[in-house]
Amino acid sequence: MILPKNYFLIGLFLLIAGGWSGGVEASPALVKEKQCDTCHRFSKTESEKSAPDLFFAGDKFQKDWLGNFLKQPEVIRLAGHTRDPGFSKGTPQYTGPHPVLNPKEAQQMTDHLMSLKILKDAPPLELPALSKGKRVRVKILFERDYSCIACHQSYNLARQPRGGVSGPSLIDAGRRLRPEWVYQWLKNPRQFTTRGRMPLYTFDEETLRKMTQYIMSHKKDSKSK
Amino acid sequence: MMAILIGCGQDPAEKKPSPSPSAAAPSTPSPAPRAHPVTQETRETYQFYCAQCHGTDGHGKGINASHLTVPPRDHTKADYLETRTDEHLFTAIQQGGLAVGRAPCMPSWGHTLDDNTIHSLVSYIRELCQCEAL
Repeated sequence: MILPKNYFLIGLFLLIAGGWSGGVEASPALVKEKQCDTCHRFSKTESEKSAPDLFFAGDKFQKDWLGNFLKQPEVIRLAGHTRDPGFSKGTPQYTGPHPVLNPKEAQQMTDHLMSLKILKDAPPLELPALSKGKRVRVKILFERDYSCIACHQSYNLARQPRGGVSGPSLIDAGRRLRPEWVYQWLKNPRQFTTRGRMPLYTFDEETLRKMTQYIMSHKKDSKSK
Repeated sequence: MMAILIGCGQDPAEKKPSPSPSAAAPSTPSPAPRAHPVTQETRETYQFYCAQCHGTDGHGKGINASHLTVPPRDHTKADYLETRTDEHLFTAIQQGGLAVGRAPCMPSWGHTLDDNTIHSLVSYIRELCQCEAL
């Protein structure tokens, strides 16, 4: 007969053994092996590092994009990361290239990163596509009323990239980012970072949704990749 | 950004004519001490936010500058800045370029920076241009 106390011990053993067996622990080991934590923060309590924080990667990124990025990295921050010591002078210390993972490693890392979330109970955001006319009106908000174009690359009406480079490019934001994260970032970026170079805004709910829709409408053409 | 101040462009029509020899006479009194002096924090704030467009030395050649249709304001040039009041510069930083009839690439910083910080940035711009409002 197994006493109730022993059920606990057996459960504890299985939990530990399960962790040692690979699955869950494999990706953090890969983080160390690839030295991702040299540049990226995996916890909000770590001191600031010079590459994007990853402790909310599961909130921020789309899984397919992330997997592809890890296998074939691309430059998103054309002037380097805002925390790079040489950022403001236009001479970032880190100029890449970002390490490349093989398909198996990329799969493991993607699964791990997508498990890192800080948004609790965030409901899915349902955003219908913008009509052509509405898109033009939100584009005016994006470029004229809120000056986003000064720091972020986006498409002009002729589908050509234009805009500043101090912020991350939004050219492929619709494939890279999750709408729920874009919405929360625009609402209050301090949820994710204590200090950033982007102005804070107080969008009303309708504008917040329109801006999110507009950013998510940016998808790189397969031809222009 | 902070300033593409008052617009992102230099309007040649607004350039002040060169002062006559008599106007350059050293009779101008020193400006009164400012209520919001420039501190180390002011300089760091400028470097953190404004330098993205206006450059680390205020010459308007920040990392975004070459990508903007209207160039960021050069904060070292007195010709234009002495024609603007401190209140005008304050409003441009707090509410953005459009609020003062200038280019929209200068965003509003009123939800990011408090009034005292913005006042001290105005003082810093005055230090960069070595000018006061006429």
